Amino acid sequence: MNELFNFFIRNSKWFIFAFYMVISCVLLAGDNPYQRHVFLTSANAVSATVYEASNNVTSYFNLRDINEDLNRRNAALEKEVIDLREQLARYREAGYTDTMVVDSGISHFDFIVAGVINNSVSKPYNYLTINKGTLDGVVPELGVIDQNGVVGIVSASAGHSARVLSLLNPNFRLSCKIKGSNNFGSLVWGGEDPEIALLEELPRHTVYQPGDTIVTSGFSTVFPEGLPVGIVLDDGKDHSENFFTLKIRLFADFTALSNVQVVINNRKDEIMAVEGSDIAQKKTR
Amino acid sequence: MSKTILNFILLFLLLIPAQAVIFNNLILFNVAIPLVFIYLIIRLPMTVSVNAALTIGFITGLSVDIFSDTIGVNAMGCTLLAFVRRPVFHLYVSLDDQLGGQSPSISTMGSAAYMKYLITMTTFYCLTVFLIEAFQFFNLKMLVLRTVASSVFTFIAIYAIDSLSIRRRHEKKL
Repeated sequence: MNELFNFFIRNSKWFIFAFYMVISCVLLAGDNPYQRHVFLTSANAVSATVYEASNNVTSYFNLRDINEDLNRRNAALEKEVIDLREQLARYREAGYTDTMVVDSGISHFDFIVAGVINNSVSKPYNYLTINKGTLDGVVPELGVIDQNGVVGIVSASAGHSARVLSLLNPNFRLSCKIKGSNNFGSLVWGGEDPEIALLEELPRHTVYQPGDTIVTSGFSTVFPEGLPVGIVLDDGKDHSENFFTLKIRLFADFTALSNVQVVINNRKDEIMAVEGSDIAQKKTR
Repeated sequence: MSKTILNFILLFLLLIPAQAVIFNNLILFNVAIPLVFIYLIIRLPMTVSVNAALTIGFITGLSVDIFSDTIGVNAMGCTLLAFVRRPVFHLYVSLDDQLGGQSPSISTMGSAAYMKYLITMTTFYCLTVFLIEAFQFFNLKMLVLRTVASSVFTFIAIYAIDSLSIRRRHEKKL
């Protein structure tokens, strides 16, 4: 017995060597439960902590490349979005012309559908730009409306684009009346809120209720009669004067304009000619 | 003695994560990888018993295995390396007690003997590890290429670490 112990102790290094080699072989040999034990893989808590710490540092090394990739991807996606948006706008324009109900009373007016490509509402003098120009028949002094109401009037036009004097511009005055009465006034932007305009110079005896609709008077060649403009909020001024002013909430949402229509009055020349001859007569008189 | 143990533990805590995080990623030309952690076994004092050296070798190898997901490969390699450590050492240094309790190094063994010891150990280790890996996928050309390239790379890396620690010791003396 003693000799056996001595034998083991004397040759202990061989036994220990063999022991470790066997363990290594077991670990090496494919299918065994130890190999899949999470403790023996890099997923254990210690190595995960070490790798996470190193990743905190090394993840910065690739940022330039990753950034470049993202930028490239971003550019591609942006281009796609713009393409799709243009396509959508085209379809929307096409659908819009079909659904627009043209009143028989204004049938001598033609409409050109245009997309708004630039718009402002927060400046003191606001303009918008549309994507139709002289080549499409859009010339200055034409009215611009959208599905909700009056938007503005064309002030300048180029080949494929035109600048529109927005209703939100103090230079633009629109002749309007309260629906159902014939008293008309002059609509002008209040200057602050893109939803609020003022209807000025209403005669003192005008009957109205808050909530009444304001429509175009048709007293100009620009807009047909009866186009909706807004509703009466309340009267801002006292009634002691001969004329008073109403606060109007505009129908058109100027902050979200996408498609508009340019109104062409086919009888404009005729009317101008008639009015012109009147003036000429006055002059000759 | 306790200082030696403390030194070893510090070196262990430094080299194993360094191997996992840095050296495992320093693969040159897809063949040369610096297996720097065997420095732990190379630097073990000769007074450490064979049994203890075997245990240390196994644990070291297993730790690296756990980090690099090569379960068993380095454990077996390090056990073998710890086993042949003393015979390799005696190839170049005849007297065992020449070192006393100190680690094998240039200052204790002399430059020539230490270099030979280092080269033999690294080459042996690289050959062992790549042979073990070759059991799964054998390609003689790759095996030779990897062994030679990795041995050289490992040798240079360990020599660099050695130089750093030697210089530090000199500075301390000054």
